Amino acid sequence: MASFVPTDPETIEDQRRYTQARLVEVACQDCLAVVSVKKNSDHHTSIQWSERALGACAEFARMDHETSGRAVHTPCQRLSASIEKAVRDGQIPIGAEDGY
Amino acid sequence: MTDTRLLDAGTPPERFARGWYCLGLAREFTDGKPHKVDAFGEKLVVWSDTQGNLNVLDAYCRHMGGDLSQGTVKGDEIACPFHDWRWGGDGRCKQIPYARRVPLRARTQRYPALVHNGMLMIWHDVEGSEPDMEVLPPELPGIGTDEYTDWTWEVLDVPTAHCREIVDNVVDMAHFFYIHLAFPTNFRNVFEGHVATQFMESVGRPDVAGGYGDQDMMLKSEASYYGPSFMINWLEVDYKGFVTEVVLINCHVPTSQNSFKLQYGVCVKKPEGIDDATAEYIGKKYSDMFKGGFEQDVHIWLNKAPVQNPLLCEEDGPVYQLRRWYEQFYVDKADVVAEMTDRFEFEVDTTKANEYWRKEVEENLARKAAEDALAGAGSEHA
Ligand code: FES
Ligand SMILES: [Fe+2]
Repeated sequence: MASFVPTDPETIEDQRRYTQARLVEVACQDCLAVVSVKKNSDHHTSIQWSERALGACAEFARMDHETSGRAVHTPCQRLSASIEKAVRDGQIPIGAEDGY
Repeated sequence: MTDTRLLDAGTPPERFARGWYCLGLAREFTDGKPHKVDAFGEKLVVWSDTQGNLNVLDAYCRHMGGDLSQGTVKGDEIACPFHDWRWGGDGRCKQIPYARRVPLRARTQRYPALVHNGMLMIWHDVEGSEPDMEVLPPELPGIGTDEYTDWTWEVLDVPTAHCREIVDNVVDMAHFFYIHLAFPTNFRNVFEGHVATQFMESVGRPDVAGGYGDQDMMLKSEASYYGPSFMINWLEVDYKGFVTEVVLINCHVPTSQNSFKLQYGVCVKKPEGIDDATAEYIGKKYSDMFKGGFEQDVHIWLNKAPVQNPLLCEEDGPVYQLRRWYEQFYVDKADVVAEMTDRFEFEVDTTKANEYWRKEVEENLARKAAEDALAGAGSEHA
């Protein structure tokens, strides 16, 4: 059962727009992770991981074993580099569509 | 007018989120008296037993509904003010001084409780699950020792808003300029599992006072919600090159479907070469700074409308994804799906926003200088 129930069907469409529209799959060049990426501008990046991709990321596995530091992993540098390359190769369209 | 954007207020959930809640600093409950706490639409009673353990029960006595928070602590038990039934921390009635025996069914609602980082934490789950130690917020090393100042602690009532309003702040980049009077120069979010984090760097606005510092104050902030209500915010505050490590706790307890109690505390890592009194003073200063910030937030919440369908621009943070994460605490454990907990990263593009804001602040400063010059010229002739 959903908790906060929208009263307008258009809200469901907004939820889809903001969380799923325009996602492009990007594979990491160093591991088997495949994530969904969106870029509304040069400096904006949205990255959706899946459990499978997370399990494949070697960087996160390495960070898991570091005793120091916080529980939250900062972004994987290798994946960031892979996304930058995908951008250079023109695989990820840059720009938003009416705010999403 | 079909193209008019409508606000969808939605229907707030009937239940309260599953998770750990902080009721305040443990030291406030250890005076041997019963304490009343409003939470989850109920009244709770908190008391400390002879072992020093803190116990939390529903405050209404299962006999005739007496208010245990107005009772008396007798030994390990809380005694009801109405007919003196004695209730133990395990939720069972231990003794009825005027009765031959205690009814077998004399069991009341108890909330599993423990003290963690100097705070009283309780577990709440409408499904009645055992407390999940895996999702207890992390222990803060060094805190509670001589390395850090004592917690400051403040409570703010938010009588007419759902507690999701404060959680939404995790992704709200732009409000830091307008409400907290700082330039957020760097802003990122990571949600994963039961943790939602905001990474932010900011510098104070020179044109207005009363926000998160002035132009000489740079904040590096990492703030994580561990579950639905308990945030740990690690801050590195750089004031003219003098760096202070600050830990801010920001937590809340819903008191009804449309109200909550916000609590926050600050402690500061004692800077080297600074005596304790000065360190406490610095802690108090930061607490006051955040107090102003929270009060400004509360003012907004008390006057705004609930919005299920926020309309976003390109400079906004991932509100929809944050709420998708938050949803996991409002459904049965068995109904938590991967999209609520899967890792999600978002970097807000703050470049244009800061460009526009810098310009706005320049203009404010120029106008102020002109006004001051005018006032100065006037007073010379007076
Ligand atoms: S109501 Fe509590 S003892 Fe009677
Ligand atoms: Fe805020």
